[in-house]
Amino acid sequence: MNNVPTAVPLDQKHFAERWNARPDSTEKAYGLQQYPTDELHWPGLLHGRILRSAWPHAHILHIDLSQARSLPGVRAVVCAEDIPGTNSYGIIFRDQPVFCTDRVRFLGDAIAAVAADSPEIAAHALTLIKVVYEPLPNIGDSQQALASAAPRLHPDGNLLDSSRLGHGDIDAGFAQCSYIVDRRYSTPRQMHVFMETEGGVAIPEQDGSLTFRVGCQSGHRDRDQLADILGLPQHKVRVIGLSTGGGFGGKDELTMQPAAGLLALKTGRPVRIHYDRQESTRAGIKRHPIQMFARTGCDAEGRLIAHQLHAVLDTGAYASLGPAVLTNFSDHAAAPLYRIPHVEVQGQLVYTNNSVAGAFRGFGGNQATFAVESQLDKLALAAGLSPAELRRRNLRTPDDDGVEGQSQQMPCHPNTLLNAAIASPLWQINPADAEHGRWLSGVGMALGAQGNGLGNGLPDSGGASLRLTKQGHIQLAFGFIEYGQGVVAAVQALACEALGCSAEDLDIRLGDSDGPDSGPTSASRSTVIATEALRRLRDDWQQQLIQLGKSLLGDHRALCTGAGGLWYDEPKGKRAISYQALASGVKDLSLPALKIHFDFPTGPDAQPKGRYLQLLIATVARVRVDRFTGSVKVSHLHHIAAGGKVIHPPSYRGQIEGAAVMGMGMALLEDVPMHNGEYQLDNLDAYLIPTLADAPAQQVDVIETIVAGDQYPVRGIGELGIEAISPALMAAIQDATGIRPCDLPARPAALLAAMTAAEENLP
Amino acid sequence: MSTENTTPNMQLNFTLNGQLLNMRVGPARRLLDILRLDQGLTGPKEGCSIGRCGACTIQLDGAAVPACLLLAYQVQGKEVITVEGLRSKPAFQRVADSLIEHGALQCGYCIPGIATSLTAALTQRPNASEGELEQAMHGNLCRCTGYSGLQQVIKDLATPAPNN
Repeated sequence: MNNVPTAVPLDQKHFAERWNARPDSTEKAYGLQQYPTDELHWPGLLHGRILRSAWPHAHILHIDLSQARSLPGVRAVVCAEDIPGTNSYGIIFRDQPVFCTDRVRFLGDAIAAVAADSPEIAAHALTLIKVVYEPLPNIGDSQQALASAAPRLHPDGNLLDSSRLGHGDIDAGFAQCSYIVDRRYSTPRQMHVFMETEGGVAIPEQDGSLTFRVGCQSGHRDRDQLADILGLPQHKVRVIGLSTGGGFGGKDELTMQPAAGLLALKTGRPVRIHYDRQESTRAGIKRHPIQMFARTGCDAEGRLIAHQLHAVLDTGAYASLGPAVLTNFSDHAAAPLYRIPHVEVQGQLVYTNNSVAGAFRGFGGNQATFAVESQLDKLALAAGLSPAELRRRNLRTPDDDGVEGQSQQMPCHPNTLLNAAIASPLWQINPADAEHGRWLSGVGMALGAQGNGLGNGLPDSGGASLRLTKQGHIQLAFGFIEYGQGVVAAVQALACEALGCSAEDLDIRLGDSDGPDSGPTSASRSTVIATEALRRLRDDWQQQLIQLGKSLLGDHRALCTGAGGLWYDEPKGKRAISYQALASGVKDLSLPALKIHFDFPTGPDAQPKGRYLQLLIATVARVRVDRFTGSVKVSHLHHIAAGGKVIHPPSYRGQIEGAAVMGMGMALLEDVPMHNGEYQLDNLDAYLIPTLADAPAQQVDVIETIVAGDQYPVRGIGELGIEAISPALMAAIQDATGIRPCDLPARPAALLAAMTAAEENLP
Repeated sequence: MSTENTTPNMQLNFTLNGQLLNMRVGPARRLLDILRLDQGLTGPKEGCSIGRCGACTIQLDGAAVPACLLLAYQVQGKEVITVEGLRSKPAFQRVADSLIEHGALQCGYCIPGIATSLTAALTQRPNASEGELEQAMHGNLCRCTGYSGLQQVIKDLATPAPNN
């Protein structure tokens, strides 16, 4: 193939034609955007609050709501007894109670909820609810959970799930190796820290139904679960996922919806709940803390022979999406970018009395990639090769199957990214900066792969609807939630291209469970679903409009869809009829209206494994380490991303850069430490996330070309930028200091201690 | 929290977005609650309630301050301007338009606070340097963007306009 794809800088200069502002940016920049927690205008609005457990693990002996109920201004207090339907939820297993009855398993467990005239009265009422507990022994970490004497947190024990994958004979593989490296790794309990915490409002309607206007990631899935909890038929529950202030996976599960719904049913009034940051920390989903042990070996020429990775993931008190995270973690732990004849991955997902872990951008993949890429650097050092050369000798190609022999579709040869990373200007450190008094500079890189879709054969489908409104707007609806990622910008750009219309013709509707079900807004799947839906709808839509136009015009000349209406093929540049005229020319029932539902692309395998649609990234990082304090300043990041065609350049770039800085937070800064099930912090005074002062200069280059025959030129890039950042940063720190941190976050004190120890051990 | 310190036993007079307001509130009622719950001004957002995230930033006598840390008695006789009151002002529009141009926003929840902080800095020092504008951002967190767009905005705003 002489058509070698190249990486192009993703900037205004190179993408001038596609570069435009997101459709919601004026509203947002001028502070006009209304978020779920801004729904304060409802007449008769009540303020809800949820009582959380006082103990990480205890029996509940007695709950007394009477004092709270009699407080003036309190309109309802609800507990498990008030649930008309099932008292449980969870995306995979419904193992989490809406309100606990006899036992609590973590400090975020809900026991009761109050609706009152003001937030102050609701908060005061919570203090009047008397709960008598009998504390039980805590399981404070994942090793404890697996001990034989550990209390069982759930009927089937503390091992929620386990994974085992690979191929070859791992012992025979290691026996053939010339070089073997092994190391323990750990990653933190990262918190999403969406700026808008969990919240929204539940509104009772005249007909006994309930409407939720909330921050969530799937209106349809929330509706299904809420209907079961509330004992209502699905058509009596409507969930509208409003444009929300960040998600990152942390709003995938139900949050405040069940309590708000129960209180709204009980009072007949709209009930608003907005977690404060402390409650969000206490009850919200986190990233799984993972303990890993990895062993990797190669032959004398640097060819990888064997790779083994064992891991334990702390999933906290309830399952949430833990089993799916374990699967994606395991897929990445098998070093999917590299050809290795003998691979063994074993993962254990365990219940503890800690914060519930679940979906978080990267979904276990980035933690595994941290260990795998770190191992390769360590092995390269042992084998006397550069990190890039070791990788080059072992990269899988687009013609190769996946680790488990599954079909997969890489966008291009990973070598292309490796070459671009090697050519990065970041490697050229000004000699004056390399070792500048207190400061040591270093550069490192890592590769990562990321898939689209739920993967592993899980049910995964999407849908859309498209119709011409009476007013002549092209109304295009998806179930996705806009939570900042820019799906509204992607849908607009894709629709203009597929339907030939202009942005002004479009009326884009998102996130309403009364509209089409597009599946969850997760797994970097929305852009793929939107592209597929429009590809499938396009011809039918154009045909219907053109036919309608011809019959209205009584004209047989060829027409095409265009900006503002239908245009003549000949003469060019002459509009035949506007969409408004088309719409007003027919009866309402004859207006073109299409619906579609289809499966997410999972490739040709009967039993799909992993994720079929793959994306690649290389991240190069430059850091400066302070020898006095051990603090790390990330000065530059250079990403080379192969994620298919760039639909909306500022959003693509923003997703890569934002994910990278979020990953930088995990690598250097962020953790929610817990001790015996007790949180050691509860707010942003102690949980620090990167600020503008921490932000590096970033460059994003993209490879849009995909391999010949790939049917999916458009991919979702929401998680790609977090994939390789941690190992790239650790490689840069190693380059600067000689120390390779393997426990994240790599905090200054630990790095300083290691640097000092290394200096003292010098001969 | 007990309900006592929020008993409306104080006469509060202050200017909100150019209008003189007189109300009875508890002296310890948070300004953020007065703005959002009592006045229905949802521009300032609640993000942490402890003055760390900056999403609720307003201008108090021209200075950028988190409204979650201000109690009613502290704004007695002062001038409060929220994003709703800034929208029509050219200094704010310059900031907002730059945020749009550089794609410096995603979910946008932090943006009212960020735009308010930048506007205050530029109003106080029309020729603010990049460093001064970066310093003005120290109290504002953004979780979505990684701040690259904001870096561009600051470069853009720190360059004095041609007719200045």
